[in-house]
Amino acid sequence: MSILSLKDVQKNFGETEIIRGLSLDVAAGEKHAIIGPNGAGKSTLFHLISGRYKVSSGSIKFKQEEIQNKPPYEIARLGLARSFQVTNIFPRMNVFENIRCALFWSKGYRYSFWHLLGRQSELNDEAMHVLEQIGLKDKALYPSGELGYAQQRALELGIAIASGAELIMLDEPVAGMSHSEAQSSVELIRKITEGKTLIMVEHDMNIVFDVADRISVLVYGEIIATDKPENIRANLKVQEAYLGEVITSA
Amino acid sequence: MLLLKKSSIWIAFLIALVTLPQLFDSILAVSILNQMTIAIVFALSYNMLLGQGGMLSFGHAVYFGLGGFLSVHALLLIEYETMVFSILWIPLIGGLFGLLAGLFIGSFSTHKAGTVFAMISLGIGELIAASSLIFSSFFGGEAGISGDRTFGPLFFGIDFAQNLEIYYLAAFWVFLATLFMYLFTQTPAGRMANAVRDNPERAEFIGYSARRVRFISFCAAGMFAGIAGGLFALNYEFITEENLNAATSGRVLLMAYIGGLGYFIGPIIGAVVLTLMNSLLSNYSELWMLYLGIMFLLTVMFLPRGFAGFIMMHQVAWVRGNMKMLIKPYTLTGVPAALFALCTIALIEMSHTEEEVFHFLGLELNTASSATWIITTVIAAAAFYAVRKSLHQLSEAWDTANAIPKEERA
Ligand SMILES: Nc1ncnc2c1ncn2[C@@H]1O[C@H](COP(=O)(O)OP(=O)(O)OP(=O)(O)O)[C@@H](O)[C@H]1O
Ligand SMILES: [Mg+2]
Repeated sequence: MSILSLKDVQKNFGETEIIRGLSLDVAAGEKHAIIGPNGAGKSTLFHLISGRYKVSSGSIKFKQEEIQNKPPYEIARLGLARSFQVTNIFPRMNVFENIRCALFWSKGYRYSFWHLLGRQSELNDEAMHVLEQIGLKDKALYPSGELGYAQQRALELGIAIASGAELIMLDEPVAGMSHSEAQSSVELIRKITEGKTLIMVEHDMNIVFDVADRISVLVYGEIIATDKPENIRANLKVQEAYLGEVITSA
Repeated sequence: MLLLKKSSIWIAFLIALVTLPQLFDSILAVSILNQMTIAIVFALSYNMLLGQGGMLSFGHAVYFGLGGFLSVHALLLIEYETMVFSILWIPLIGGLFGLLAGLFIGSFSTHKAGTVFAMISLGIGELIAASSLIFSSFFGGEAGISGDRTFGPLFFGIDFAQNLEIYYLAAFWVFLATLFMYLFTQTPAGRMANAVRDNPERAEFIGYSARRVRFISFCAAGMFAGIAGGLFALNYEFITEENLNAATSGRVLLMAYIGGLGYFIGPIIGAVVLTLMNSLLSNYSELWMLYLGIMFLLTVMFLPRGFAGFIMMHQVAWVRGNMKMLIKPYTLTGVPAALFALCTIALIEMSHTEEEVFHFLGLELNTASSATWIITTVIAAAAFYAVRKSLHQLSEAWDTANAIPKEERA
């Protein structure tokens, strides 16, 4: 049963075709990695699925519901959470508030102006628990805009995973982290997405082969292969297009 | 512990509201206090937009003014016995109409923050101000409309003829309005207002329509501005176009900004300071608007987080018990700075006055003699030089007072 299904999705910016008739099915519970060279359209694909961009043509279904014309907040409410490649947090709010805001909707608070947050102990405990998981508990009251790069990345990840959405999409979640930071983030991602669906863009092949059940290779707006990691590794066409560069340059 | 600290602030606020008119009981003082409490609610409501919601409005007086106009009409209804209710409830009528105006205007103006929102607010402000002169049966034209607050049923034998009585009525609503505006910041809608201010895009990916979040803040801000308008109507018993035009919108922006947008208490400080300047300085000088402008400029340039931000800057030094380290450097800079300010004011006032002798701080300055001018200028220049010279030691003392002790460094 596929939780997410794209059919002939196309995206143009003016004259330029960035996503060129892309189809993809992701099964519920699957850990799906998307790899491909810089500028291939991986982030654009994420933006299309999450509603930041409107598709030029084609359809996107999430849990059998067409979402290609929905605004991001409606898609998020259906149970899709995402992180961004370029850190995208609430810089003037403290770390704790960042995470707590990410929890509001899924905890049913909606636009409430009658719940006093100080009294919502379950919500607050949960926010603290997320902070603990992403290793920012001792920075809870720190203004998030003043965190260092790696900690902002951890927070970025935290906002995406906090609500416990069914489908979590992470755009290069560990880029720029040190090896050990990346390692613990990957552990966390694995733990948090247990029983959930994950779609992840990642350049580090070790992480990709480690985490993914299936891998899609995106080149110039087209998926040239979707397969199990071992088959992708073996796929020559892929090696040429992408892995070749990485493996030889690494 | 934190709860105790917080509730003690509210108790202190309540005590201040109750006792201030006992301590300062002249007619002038009570009238200033009345203005101050109205300004506090108005400025706090403005900060729901700008400080908490990131919406720069140039037309917030619309909601204040509409609330005020409806309140005066309500007074007239009571006077002509069309309706019978205590004037105690008038601020709620102001609030209701502020809210209705907010619901209507917010439905299209909160689509975007930033320049678009600012321009729409400016346009609406002009539109309503112009209409208020055109539809004179409702707004009373240039003269505005007036009522009489003493006609309603007595409230425990009080007819609210006295300013002091109206003060206590206002204080009751001011306390409630302030409390509710604070509590709003502690709710999901209030927090999401901050989130949308910081990053409207990301807010949408955690399930919130940025527009809807802004809309809620906008309506709440309109309602509390309307309550302030209702208090104004009760206090002055009249209201004119001036109370909903751009000048009033500008003044509330100044109050919130000078006080400090980033802190809940900021607009309160701004409201108090500006009301004092308005009512006290205007007795002494025709140029007080000029000084207000200079103060605004200096605040924007040197205290971008307002007076409240300036006070909060000292938190670290305070916690470390280093405040006394700052007394001497502050004096060394502050005294010449004050002297410079006074000399500058003297020069400005002397250029403005048409009298031969200008009375200033007990001095009689002869404006016709060039010696007066030269001496004042020299003192000003010397004071300015002293300030420049002393800045170095101030910044050093600041660093020492805020330094992290060795043993605390990780
Ligand atoms: N808003 C836009 N307007 C015009 N062109 C765009 C826009 N967004 C992306 N592009 C172009 O689309 C192409 C794909 O960009 P995208 O960011 O999706 O690549 P990517 O695969 O995520 O690359 P990277 O690995 O560097 O993150 C690029 O050539 C980029 O210049
Ligand atoms: Mg990208």
